[in-house]
Amino acid sequence: MQELAERIAAYAAHRMPQATDVAASHVDRIHGGASRETYRFRLRHREAGREVERRLILRRDPPGSLIETDRAAEFAAYRAFHGSAVPVPEALWLESDSRWLDHPFFVMEELVGFEASPQAILAPPYLQHHERLAREKWSILGAIAAADPEKLGLAGALEVIDPADAWRRELDHWTAVIDEDELAPQPIARAAIRRLRRAPPPPPRRLHVVHGDFRTGNFLYDAEGAIRGILDWEMAHLGDPVEDLAWSLNRVWCWGRDERVGGLTTKQNAIRIWEQASGLRADPEALRWWELFSSVKGLAIWISGGHEYQEGTNKDPVLAFSSIWLTNAQDRAALEAMGKLS
Amino acid sequence: MKPDVSKLLEIVASKLLFEIAPNVQPSYRRSSVGLTGMLLGMVREEFERACARRVEENGVLRALFARAAKSVADTDLRRRLDSAAAGAEGSLLVSDLDKSNDALRALSIDLHAHVEEQDAPWARAVDAEIWRELVASTERRRFALAPF
Repeated sequence: MQELAERIAAYAAHRMPQATDVAASHVDRIHGGASRETYRFRLRHREAGREVERRLILRRDPPGSLIETDRAAEFAAYRAFHGSAVPVPEALWLESDSRWLDHPFFVMEELVGFEASPQAILAPPYLQHHERLAREKWSILGAIAAADPEKLGLAGALEVIDPADAWRRELDHWTAVIDEDELAPQPIARAAIRRLRRAPPPPPRRLHVVHGDFRTGNFLYDAEGAIRGILDWEMAHLGDPVEDLAWSLNRVWCWGRDERVGGLTTKQNAIRIWEQASGLRADPEALRWWELFSSVKGLAIWISGGHEYQEGTNKDPVLAFSSIWLTNAQDRAALEAMGKLS
Repeated sequence: MKPDVSKLLEIVASKLLFEIAPNVQPSYRRSSVGLTGMLLGMVREEFERACARRVEENGVLRALFARAAKSVADTDLRRRLDSAAAGAEGSLLVSDLDKSNDALRALSIDLHAHVEEQDAPWARAVDAEIWRELVASTERRRFALAPF
């Protein structure tokens, strides 16, 4: 990690010409979203006669990942929501030039001292705060849905489409991922895709910001049940806000292995909190469509990760584990969404 | 092979998860070792059932195709169904069973899409049979660790 620390320091010095004695240390790779290599590190420098130390996160593009995503969109989303009711770390630098760290990357603030694990949330001291965690989780998702992409400056950073095409753009994208990456035929995914195409959902009235991966496991929380940071915006896009709600309710995130969505609360309560916070109605027909779509998208992600692993482009065991562990669970979720499980 | 593969994988997975991973630094490598232990646990489950579930599933699909072929009017699809239904396992190697299974599952997708377009009692019956098999096939692949 010493060489990486030196290269990070060289890049930081380049970005902060006013700084002297720039040094990076404590570089430690962490599992932080399977689409990019994630490292935490400390950056020290002198500026205006005083010493400054910041704890930062580096998100670097890998050779292969669970999903291939647009780092500029992720960076823009962090920038857009920083300082708003949606807690996010401050995004500092976006770099597409591979000469610095071999691959494109971005750097953001590390939010220190909080938990992200979807398993830890099921045990003390977090267990007693599930009511607050649920309230905050779906209120924040509601705030994302209520946000105006134009005012946030995201309409330029994220693709603007006709709201009526929101479902088609997403379904086409994830179907193409399955087409390209499946290692074996996927009869349940194919049946789900056919069903989704036969009966599209009612469109949203306007385009909304969609986080794209809003779930327990992708936010930081504290021991009092407060959510301190929403992470993993790598699939952020403009579209139908019910997509985000449905993804957050996906059965494979029922970490408690029971009916509690996200391991926290009932589905009905989560929807109620979201509706209250967003000022929107979760149209039952739209929600049913997007819930089934969530299984197709999930399958695409798990299949894609397995493909990367089998091809040898990324040998991180998290890809193989997620693919094997979740493809079957996602198939079950799709069957349930289609009313085929008794 | 002795000790039994199942026992061997159980012990290795347990050692990785509970003895080795907690002592590995940095955190990313510790997590990778833990995940590898959990992977081996799933490999253990799959090893035990690998041949049985593939043979069972391939047999169910061939029988389903034989019944469906009697009603399918599309000549190309009927010919493919008849051909698949007449097939048998040439080998019990998992890789060979997988090849058969892939071909049969691909054909089941075509049959499913076809019957969805037909408005006839026989098509509804085949459709229902395919769904029952999809539920069963999902259960055959289920892992004890499944989150859902």
